[in-house]
Amino acid sequence: MPYLMRRLQRLLIVLLVVTFSTFLLVSVLPGDAAYQIGGMDASPEEIEAIREDLGLNSPVILRYLSWVAGLIQGDWGTSLLTGESVWDALVERVPVSMQLMVMAQIMALTLAIPAGIIGAWRPDGPADRALTAVGFACVSMPGFMTAILLIYYVSLHLGWLPATGYEPMSAGLWANLKPMILPALSLALVEWTALMRTLRAEMISTLQENYISLARAKGMGTLRILLVHALRPSGFSTITILGLQVARLLGGAIILEQIFGIPGIGRLLVHAVYTRDLVVIQGCVTFFALTYVAVNFLVDLAYAWLDPRVREARSHG
Amino acid sequence: MTLQTPVLEVQDLRTAFVTARGMLQAVDGVSFRLERGQILAIVGESGSGKSVLSRSILGLLPRGAETSATAQVLLNGQDLTRLPERQLRRLRGRRASMIFQDPMTSLNPTLSIGAQIVEVLVFHMGLAKAAARARAAELLRSVGLPEPGLQLDRYPHQLSGGMRQRVAIAIALACEPDLLIADEPTTALDVTVQAEILDLLRREVRERQMSMILITHDMGIVAGHADEVAVMYAGRIVERAPVRPLFAQTRMPYTRALLDSIPQLSAPAHGRLEAIGGRPPDLVEPPPGCSFEPRCRFATARCRADAPPLQGDGVHSFACWHPLR
Repeated sequence: MPYLMRRLQRLLIVLLVVTFSTFLLVSVLPGDAAYQIGGMDASPEEIEAIREDLGLNSPVILRYLSWVAGLIQGDWGTSLLTGESVWDALVERVPVSMQLMVMAQIMALTLAIPAGIIGAWRPDGPADRALTAVGFACVSMPGFMTAILLIYYVSLHLGWLPATGYEPMSAGLWANLKPMILPALSLALVEWTALMRTLRAEMISTLQENYISLARAKGMGTLRILLVHALRPSGFSTITILGLQVARLLGGAIILEQIFGIPGIGRLLVHAVYTRDLVVIQGCVTFFALTYVAVNFLVDLAYAWLDPRVREARSHG
Repeated sequence: MTLQTPVLEVQDLRTAFVTARGMLQAVDGVSFRLERGQILAIVGESGSGKSVLSRSILGLLPRGAETSATAQVLLNGQDLTRLPERQLRRLRGRRASMIFQDPMTSLNPTLSIGAQIVEVLVFHMGLAKAAARARAAELLRSVGLPEPGLQLDRYPHQLSGGMRQRVAIAIALACEPDLLIADEPTTALDVTVQAEILDLLRREVRERQMSMILITHDMGIVAGHADEVAVMYAGRIVERAPVRPLFAQTRMPYTRALLDSIPQLSAPAHGRLEAIGGRPPDLVEPPPGCSFEPRCRFATARCRADAPPLQGDGVHSFACWHPLR
């Protein structure tokens, strides 16, 4: 229990720091939602009236506190521009971004795990060198470049997958997955290299361990040694990186969501920043902070799953 | 009876490592026979090549190490150095198994004790999971673990060093091999536990009619636990004899020095402990003569020029130009 309490405490601190600094930053930006609502021709008096109406004139700290008070009661606020509930907007878009991120990481792991194992098996061998070269080529290319190349070849040239668009799950599983494949792949191709290199490095040192010698002395084959004896103890850094990537990808897929026309949270946030829609920005940021902490919590759980020693230490407080 | 095929016959085994400075000759022409039911202790300082020798026998060398093409390692008459890896794997853990020095690191921390024993039984003996588990519990009981059924689901970190070494022994014994190679099996353990583990090993080897190579740097444990002793120095066997003559009529000055460095209870308190001066030779550029010559009190010009061969009467052999009387 003290373990969970510690986590919860950390979550609260992260949330407060992140939301308050965002609030502050957006407040010092030139321009506010009143200009957006009033439009180019609005007179200063009109702007001032809108401001008064939205409550933008009260001090930052008061506005922040009232936003926090709302959040505690489960009220995420409404968009300054459209009056749409921020909660509804998030509920609509988060699953889309979530799906994109999960698909991307599954693809990245599918590439990274075998590649990392092969690299660790014969470091600096031909296969390792080739995989490393491909990996660095992938990571050197920005995601939007990869995306455009993929659209060009796979969509336009081969015509296998649509270039843009989004279909909800209700349209059917394949209809839903089809337009998501290319954007997810664009993300995965950037992310897999770090995972592969991390797994490779940790596995190389695992393979030096005495228990690997013992496994060989027991007559176990290479494949079994790699997959059963060496993979699990080598997963720590990889899972840490995976967690950091997940948190980053959720908000960082903005450009790709734009290119592929995916209505995710990234697009919501960008639009909110352009229009200085502070309440929506706060909603998004709070959501990111929550995911970040949640993902780190999952990473911690994964450590325990990987290593019985962690499990033990934790249950003893 | 002497015509019986020995369990292990090693002929001219040479193992070298590639290093930045050149080839490091870790094992330099070792030959010996090990008869069924015998325990051979291989004794030497760290760096004498005894561990590399033990790993060379089963072909378990790290990358960058190579055994010479002329070497022969006959296990029950079958030359392991000529076997393809796939067939060698069928023998490892089945006909010959190993126990490593440090039980804290030689068991996989992420696999349960049971899983680590069961996999050997499944792979080599073709047992089904459930049967293998029952057999694993039996093995744990025989090596003296309390509540063997419960231990199967525990993890290495939940056991003490001595318990872990018992598990390692259970793994090594699982398929009733002909040969057991124990590489410093008690060096990492408390003194009280050392004796228990050595007694356990000897008892199991005797009961199962196995042969054992006991690798150690500790002359003190040789007397009570081995039949024969081979003393290694700088990658070579420099003296070989049954335990009694080796202790009673030591011929090689290096062996004498090793024996003298065992602290004696009968010695006066706070007396000087005999240590061997100097260090073992550089194995990348070994001296042309006897490798112990720089540290030897009896060395002459001949020792500097010519390396003495290992020779003797078939019972007691030694490599020295000026053997002790």
